[in-house]
Amino acid sequence: MKPTPDSLPWANGIYSIKQHGVSIANCDSEPVQTPGCIQEHGVLFVLRPVDFVILQVSENIAEHFGGAPEAWLGKTISQLTGDDLFQRLTHWMGGRVLEQNPTYAFTLPASAAHGEYDLILHTIDGYVILECESAVPTLEAAEMMYGRVKHVVSQLQNSNTLNGFFDIIVNQTRELTGIDRVMIYRFHEDFHGEVVAESKREDLSPWLGLHYPAEDIPYPAREIFKKIWVRPLADVGGRPMELVPLANPENGRPLTMTYCALRGASVMYSEYLKNMGVEASLTLSLMVEGKLWGLIACQHQIPIRFSHETRSACEFLAQVASLQLRAVEQRESLVYRLKLEESHNRIVTNAAQDAGLGPLTTASPNILDQMEAGGVAVFHGDRWWKVGHTPADIQLDALKDWLEEQPEFDTPARSVFVTDSLSKKFPPAVDYAKVASGLLAVSLSRQRHTFILWFRPETIQTVNWGGDPHDKPIVVGPHGPRLTPRKSFEIFAESVKNRSLPWQKVEVDAALRLRLLIMELVVSRAEQITEMNVDLARANEELDAFTYVASHDLKEPLRGISKYAHQLMTDAQQEDSERLQKLESIQRLATRMDTLLDSLLHFSRVGRTVIIPVAVNLRDVIEEALEIISIRREEKGTRITVAAELPPIQGDRMRVREIFVNLISNALKYNDKEMREIEIGSRVHPEHGLVLYVRDNGIGIEAKHREVVFQIFKRLHDRDAYGGGSGAGLSIVQRLVSQHGGKVWIESTPGVDCVFYFTLQPTLPAIS
Amino acid sequence: MNLKPHPSGCLLVLEDSDEDFDTILAAAKESNLKNEIIRVTNGDECVELLEKRAQEDATFSPLLALFDLNTPQGDGRYALKTLRENARYKTLPIVILSTSENKHDLEFCYHAGANAYHTKSVSYPAHLRTVRQIFEYWLDGVILPFAQ
Repeated sequence: MKPTPDSLPWANGIYSIKQHGVSIANCDSEPVQTPGCIQEHGVLFVLRPVDFVILQVSENIAEHFGGAPEAWLGKTISQLTGDDLFQRLTHWMGGRVLEQNPTYAFTLPASAAHGEYDLILHTIDGYVILECESAVPTLEAAEMMYGRVKHVVSQLQNSNTLNGFFDIIVNQTRELTGIDRVMIYRFHEDFHGEVVAESKREDLSPWLGLHYPAEDIPYPAREIFKKIWVRPLADVGGRPMELVPLANPENGRPLTMTYCALRGASVMYSEYLKNMGVEASLTLSLMVEGKLWGLIACQHQIPIRFSHETRSACEFLAQVASLQLRAVEQRESLVYRLKLEESHNRIVTNAAQDAGLGPLTTASPNILDQMEAGGVAVFHGDRWWKVGHTPADIQLDALKDWLEEQPEFDTPARSVFVTDSLSKKFPPAVDYAKVASGLLAVSLSRQRHTFILWFRPETIQTVNWGGDPHDKPIVVGPHGPRLTPRKSFEIFAESVKNRSLPWQKVEVDAALRLRLLIMELVVSRAEQITEMNVDLARANEELDAFTYVASHDLKEPLRGISKYAHQLMTDAQQEDSERLQKLESIQRLATRMDTLLDSLLHFSRVGRTVIIPVAVNLRDVIEEALEIISIRREEKGTRITVAAELPPIQGDRMRVREIFVNLISNALKYNDKEMREIEIGSRVHPEHGLVLYVRDNGIGIEAKHREVVFQIFKRLHDRDAYGGGSGAGLSIVQRLVSQHGGKVWIESTPGVDCVFYFTLQPTLPAIS
Repeated sequence: MNLKPHPSGCLLVLEDSDEDFDTILAAAKESNLKNEIIRVTNGDECVELLEKRAQEDATFSPLLALFDLNTPQGDGRYALKTLRENARYKTLPIVILSTSENKHDLEFCYHAGANAYHTKSVSYPAHLRTVRQIFEYWLDGVILPFAQ
């Protein structure tokens, strides 16, 4: 119990709802266990155990049994029961454990002065508490009730889902009590409550799915519900009946009424119910492993009384439900776990057929499908793969940087970070608290910064609340706006601000299991890649050997041919011009084959090596290329224009130069104009961004040939037309360009011009 | 025309191609070489021959060696490496004459102690010129370690 602050009005005396209730401003300060008053439909006696002398009695005794309270004090209880029933009572009490355990003894028969009264007894702090409640008929006969409860118990044992389990409880409780509305009210970890099941009169509006702040069932009330199974409140508007005297005359202390069915209702609770239009309630506790899991909350729109038999049946139901609840939760969690695992298995199987981890979010099923989350983001291969509601990429980047520093990821076996209030730990997350207050993150590879992040939205975004200020007028209670639905909503909204529903253990476990599955997949893929690399290296070696053979061994006979042709020419002298011509042809062919072999060798070498891009000055490179071709910008029949503005580029200097050498040579070569015009420059292309180009006014290339020209040794013209050449130049250009990650293409009007465009990066940023 | 007599002693030529060897002979003739030319066609033969000649005559060494690189069996590279490991032939001028322009071949040969590296041209006159230049340089232009 929290201590009573000295400032409270009853600090130096004994609390009574009747005298002090109006002054209560704070739920947590209300002394609900010692209210000093009872409900008006019964009478409460405090008896001395040795002689059953009445020490205290409720002030309403006159209304029920006649006589002023003071007239009863100091008498024994036989004054009420008569001698025979007094004997029966003392006999009944002998050998019973009644400490903090109210038990129905028997019904006091009706007399001329009063009707039937049920007598309920328990002991506490060394005194006997006798509660007399005017008897009410039950809805069902006792045998019927027993049969019903037995049936319910077997139904509960066979439930596999919490929803099914709850539905049985609310439906049966409502049938037992005949009450307007029965709800299962579940406490979350922060003690805010949620209606998870409901059975109600058809004309009432549903409250299923609504959430309530922790303050609605405040700490003192929760403490009481841990101790008792059933709590009736017959008439919210009933008058509180004070004990006479208020303090126990023997020890001067207030009476602890925790276990009394007649205990006077908390003013805060009564007021709250009134504000919701409820006049009577019956509340049952659901206890799991010593903790208050939730309540079975029954509410009625008019005052209603429940017989002690009905209350006992409900209490039994609540006890059975409490015992079964954990088992049902586990069964349901198992079903959820199996669903997640089955889904994750399929996802990983699908991903195994793909090169990246993209299918985790893009394929069906994906990793959001079974998980109760709002969105998923996977960082892999230098980009985010997202599905559902997630923060933006730039926000994810910052979050990832922060996550990488978190010690949770130092544990290789349990590399997981879980929170239901991300912004508390990572303040920038407040910007996207709506979609990502909850975060469940696993790290696949810290070196490669690969993460999977599941996001859960802020609770306030996902729950309904009957008192939403946007569509309900302000309701002010009789004591001012203390606990009204609107006030309550505000408190609730504050308590769940930037918070999500907590992650369940089964979800964290499933995430870790998925992580292992993916890591196994990655490892086996790495093994495959290693094998492929070995194969590739072997293939490359073979290709090297082949080109070596091509360049060397094929040249040897060629040299022989060339040599014999030469010697024959020397011998033939000038006598036989026809023979000389043929011998010259042999020599020319040998020379040409030699050129082809050199080109082949060069081409095969171009593709092999990895380039390291550096800043390249295009102007210098182009000047060098012109020098290599041995052409001046202006000479007879040729004009070469280089753009004044050239963009800075990243690339391999020698290779970029070779691209220009080949393209400029081509532009000069395939040109039949009297004035050969060549233009070198750059521009921003609508599709490809920044591109470089070499334009000429030559013969051009027809559309159908624009792919073919890039194939090695493909020539469109006779081998000696346009100055000959091996036909490897453009193939080499294409290789050099694609080594930079770029592409090369042709635009041409045959007979007019021809432009070779190329890029040197996959995504060249456009320059303004 | 250089009238100074060539240094005496034999030339060792490692060449598997008859045509290319013929070109060497033609070049020798044009350069008026009188030296004996010993031909081997692969690296193994080259190493064996030198061992055999060394047994017969402890002071034997060629004046100059001309090696092709790619031959059957142990090749020119093998011969180059083996000779350079032998103290007796550490200083023998070995000139490589190969079709290959491969960077790795160049690096290997100079690393292994070749004195020069030339490529064979497919054009006969160019090829012939290269060999003549080799003879003129090594037999006339420089003073050789084994010249008698």
